[in-house]
Amino acid sequence: MVEKIKRRRLLVTGAAVAGSLLLPGKAPAQSGSKPLAGTTLNVSCWNHPYAKLLTDLIPQFEEESGAKVNYETPSFPIYNQRIDIELSTGGSAYDVLNVTFIYIGRWIEAGWFVPLDDYLKDPKKTPADWDPADLLPGVTVAFKDTAGKLYAIPWTGDIYMAGAGRFDLFEQAGLTTMPDTFDALSAAMKAVNKKDGVAGFLTDNHYGWSFVPFLQGFGGDVFRNAPDDLMPVLDTPDAIAGAEFFSNLLRDYGPDGAISYTYDMMVAALKAGRANYCPNGQIFVVQLAAPDSQAAHTSNFSICPAGPKGRFPGVATHGWGIPVGSKKKDAAWQFIVWAMSKPVLKQMVERGYSSVTRRSIIDSPEFKGKMTLNGHDIAKIYVDTVAYGTKGYMKYRTVPVYPQVDKQLDIAIQNIASQQMSAKQAMQLAQQNSIQELKRAGVKL
Amino acid sequence: MAFARASFEWLAPSLAHARPKPWRRQRARIFAIGLAPALVVLAVITIGPTLYLLVTSLTPASPVHPKSLTDFGDPLGNYRAMIGDGEFLNSLWVQAKLSVVTVVAQLAVGLGVALLLNAPSRFLEAVRTAFMLPMVLPPIVVAVIWKILFTPDISPLHHALAAAGMPVHSLIANPDLALWAIVVADTWEWFPFTMLMVLAALQMVPSEPIEAGRIDGAGPFALFRYILFPYIRPTLVVAALFRLIDSIKAFPLIYVLTNGGPGTATEVTNYYAFVEAFNFSYWGYGAAIATLMVTGVLLLSWLVDRLNPEEALDE
Repeated sequence: MVEKIKRRRLLVTGAAVAGSLLLPGKAPAQSGSKPLAGTTLNVSCWNHPYAKLLTDLIPQFEEESGAKVNYETPSFPIYNQRIDIELSTGGSAYDVLNVTFIYIGRWIEAGWFVPLDDYLKDPKKTPADWDPADLLPGVTVAFKDTAGKLYAIPWTGDIYMAGAGRFDLFEQAGLTTMPDTFDALSAAMKAVNKKDGVAGFLTDNHYGWSFVPFLQGFGGDVFRNAPDDLMPVLDTPDAIAGAEFFSNLLRDYGPDGAISYTYDMMVAALKAGRANYCPNGQIFVVQLAAPDSQAAHTSNFSICPAGPKGRFPGVATHGWGIPVGSKKKDAAWQFIVWAMSKPVLKQMVERGYSSVTRRSIIDSPEFKGKMTLNGHDIAKIYVDTVAYGTKGYMKYRTVPVYPQVDKQLDIAIQNIASQQMSAKQAMQLAQQNSIQELKRAGVKL
Repeated sequence: MAFARASFEWLAPSLAHARPKPWRRQRARIFAIGLAPALVVLAVITIGPTLYLLVTSLTPASPVHPKSLTDFGDPLGNYRAMIGDGEFLNSLWVQAKLSVVTVVAQLAVGLGVALLLNAPSRFLEAVRTAFMLPMVLPPIVVAVIWKILFTPDISPLHHALAAAGMPVHSLIANPDLALWAIVVADTWEWFPFTMLMVLAALQMVPSEPIEAGRIDGAGPFALFRYILFPYIRPTLVVAALFRLIDSIKAFPLIYVLTNGGPGTATEVTNYYAFVEAFNFSYWGYGAAIATLMVTGVLLLSWLVDRLNPEEALDE
């Protein structure tokens, strides 16, 4: 029996060698260029447009590397819950994972991802033309620990910007530019609200994201000095003023039931022209100019307006990392190198990807062409906003306990906008509850 | 078995009296062996996780701090924290309001519709089937339907009311009405359960007392009050308890319609436990809240068991 198997294997090997000789150059070249043949990589990311675009390109990686990729893109909350549990158990189910922005503190601080610096420095693992310096520093910085080690390669920079679907109504009111300050915004809303039946202002009810630029613009903040001092500071006079201003915009100029709008409802209302001005994430706001948007030809865009204490546009990012439990870290790194390579990102831009993290692609005429929406240069807004991100005011968002305070901000704004409480009462309650939640998490205040 | 025992008795009474004991024991042993695999499976999939929940509730478990999973230094810490947690106490109050109002509404609507549909007719049979539709829809679909209906911008309901000169502002964004909006959606989804139970009970009512009542001149209200109601009362009690247990598990409607808001106006205990456990990773605290809820549901289940409708009818 053993003899028979040996003989059969010999015949198969012989046939393979003969075949390779019959196809000179082909077979040896294939085995050489498919270094991951026989390797299976398990990759997961939440269902961001980037992650969906990548789905179509993964067969290219499989073809080039010989690896098989099991790729999944669950919804954002499902992804985070599933991966949080997976990482906490040190499991080896995944080889490449998205490091979610709001979980950066928790996942990196807990040591659940491997540092990537050694991979980046090793010319055998990272081609010289891959060019890590080309990645936008404003988003890359989010994945570094205090010692400067990098734990993920950012694939998106989601910026907070403003869009107006019915800018024609602004023009009819004599306003020729998008509001650049909170005061100008307030005056503009007064002028355009309910004109042509369109609500003046709308943002989705995730206020832990959409309200904070207003909170900081009024001089307030979430924590006293994140990440070193996590004492919440939600009940300061500046924070209360910011909350009152923002809630009034929602209450006075928002559509009926504005505080019940989730992001998908918000985008639908903006594209249908039922709401006008929206400060929010770029991935939502730019959809005003989508081909199926009724507001495509009347839309205008701008950087986030500035408050009395300055301009603090949100900058979020997500990146590819390698969990410590992975048994195929080198292969996982090869996947990241491929997914974040210039040729792959160029293909994604051709297919509509708009929040690229490589400067060389952002500066390319192709990207600028794609990102000029209704005559407005979104690429410039994007680059300018990401540059703000280097100032460090986004650190509040990557501390492990931010989700707890995030929820309290959601509740506070709803309490004020629905007139259940005054801004002072609501923010004091948010402060009190945040302290309680942080103590429960073991944070020493 | 009674027949078998009787046949032994006339043959040899003394033998017949001597044999049943070991035979019964043997039968019990065989039954136990037969039942054992099912009991083991039940223990593994039901009692095991429940015990794990209880054990976790005695720790400050959080996946961020792996050592916390086995930290039993302050086993009652989570339970003490609950007492001082205003948001948790508020969630209990919201839960109580939601449960009481939905159960009463579902019983009233279910009973009313069942009485209207309790007649032999092909048409009414079709109507009964149509009324069951909300109950068999996936809960998330029900939630999406009501999300559309409660969003003034796109709601045909709001548009119709506005066209009739009675504009109604968003219910789910109004802290005084949001819970009522959930009651309406929950009642729409679950009144068919009560309706089905009551219909089944109504069809068991013998026709003689009803006919006798009619001959004696009883009107429809008197017939219901003195003849039908005593028959269906045990069924109504059991239906109420089933719905009460289920109301404690309310989740999809709140998750989709209000996310617990505005503020915390619709944040029920179940939803609060979910947020604490899965959004903030306080597994220990979430488990303590869940343990409390399991205890409540077990008590209600015991009550359902005590109010077996058949026994009540026999009485």
